[in-house]
Amino acid sequence: MRKVAVVGAGLTRFMRRAQETGPELAWLAASQALESCGLGLKDVDSVAIGTAPDAFDGVHMKGEYLAPGAGGWGRPVTRPYAGGGTGVLVPIHAWFNVASGLFDVCLVVAEEKMSTCHPHPQGAFVTIFDNILERPLEPNLIWIFALEMQRYMDTYGITKEEIALVSVKNKRNGLDHPSTHVAEEITVKDVMESEVMVSPVNRLDVSPVSDGAAAIVLVSEDVARRISDNPVWIDGIGWNLDTAYWTNRDLAYPSYVERAARMAYKMAGITEPRKQINVVEPYDPFSYKELHHLEGLLLCDKGQAAKITADGVTQRNGDMPVSPSGGLLGVGNPIAAAGLMKVAEIFWQLRGEAGRRQVPGQPKVGLAQAWGDLMQVGTVVVMRVD
Amino acid sequence: MGSSEQIDRVTDLRAWPGEFPVSHLYTMGIAGERFFRELKDNGRFLGSRCAACDHVYLPPSIFCPRCFAALDEWKEVGPQGTVRAVTTAHRGVDGTTLKTPETLALIQLDGADDLLTHRIKESEGLEIGARVAPVLKETPEREGSILDVRYFRAV
Ligand SMILES: [Zn+2]
Repeated sequence: MRKVAVVGAGLTRFMRRAQETGPELAWLAASQALESCGLGLKDVDSVAIGTAPDAFDGVHMKGEYLAPGAGGWGRPVTRPYAGGGTGVLVPIHAWFNVASGLFDVCLVVAEEKMSTCHPHPQGAFVTIFDNILERPLEPNLIWIFALEMQRYMDTYGITKEEIALVSVKNKRNGLDHPSTHVAEEITVKDVMESEVMVSPVNRLDVSPVSDGAAAIVLVSEDVARRISDNPVWIDGIGWNLDTAYWTNRDLAYPSYVERAARMAYKMAGITEPRKQINVVEPYDPFSYKELHHLEGLLLCDKGQAAKITADGVTQRNGDMPVSPSGGLLGVGNPIAAAGLMKVAEIFWQLRGEAGRRQVPGQPKVGLAQAWGDLMQVGTVVVMRVD
Repeated sequence: MGSSEQIDRVTDLRAWPGEFPVSHLYTMGIAGERFFRELKDNGRFLGSRCAACDHVYLPPSIFCPRCFAALDEWKEVGPQGTVRAVTTAHRGVDGTTLKTPETLALIQLDGADDLLTHRIKESEGLEIGARVAPVLKETPEREGSILDVRYFRAV
């Protein structure tokens, strides 16, 4: 397998309702990513497109629909899919394109336009449940997160106030992100007093419904050395799927995230992740998920993520900055685009190009992770700069 | 017990009825907004041109999918055009027989490189290569929709 580097990234604003079509959003991000590394569409050998359920955009064959805006016209195009985990699965898939030797330059584009879906994307989410056992109960997606959050809180004795600190941190971090539509300065009290959606999940524990697109450019080592002074290497990739029956697994601990992380760590030669990983972008569609994922990623002991958050370890200037971008809670959540935004953030952080979001200490190794399907898939990339 | 081939009525199976409870609102996008405003307000068709690829897109696009250039050269095309393919449908959207068969064509508006799909009426025996013109709704009835063009007919 060949070495693979990220050399460019692009991102649209995240919005509640974009006027742009999906292909127009894809083009804005994709053309920006190419321009950022001095490449043109003519240099692109293959295209990987990531986008979550077709039902959001109301377009079947959404990969093909997005392809003209993603640079896919007349090129080998593929669309890997793992629900909410797609945003990090698509660069993993693109890695195959380049590492295999088949292609030297792969354009990676993720888009989501959830505002198309009416009355609410919950109508699309409902069909991920078991049609016979669960849909007759008319479940809302937040129900299962509320139940998982309770298993997590009860197992480790974690309070809602401790979990609310994640929303406070990420929404504040998001204030420094030009793409945000949900950043704000809030307090734990604000989170606790926001509308109860499905107890114990309050309004400010949840990321929004968003439109947006993200793109990165993956290249072979030869191309990276030729066109870039500071390529960011993809050192490790990992992904893992748990049972589709969410009632049959340990909801207090995401073991599928651990298995994905162990796969990526082994490949990247990471033996002590807490010491070797300098900056982390775990998937945070809900406040407790950032904590859940930090534990699954072996970046703290089980049940200890709330404590390191309270101790300030995960702040931008802490020992292990977590979601310095602001994450899904602080920037927005156009599903697949949000996952790829996290990969782009690690790219910018490792190059020292994150502007006001830059974490101190010249980080060398970073990790991005996404999660999804019926909360059973973990996708992980480990990145490094020389 | 067993395979569905042995069951004549699906209601004999134990099943739970379901549907995909969503509807959609599709934005026309940046280029589409401009195309439909021009059609609604002035009854004209707008394409966009990529000079590098020498291609006029219809409907227009704000980018060139061939070379990724941003496009801002808007060009009026049509209203007349040439039929490039024509068919008469006897079955409708749900597969049932149409009371009145409907003729559809791929039309190349003058000055455009791409084709537009639309209905054909009042045009007996229309063939490939025939010249057609749009029949538009009156201005007050137009709402910025492809149905502002009622149909095309032979000229
Ligand atoms: Zn062009």
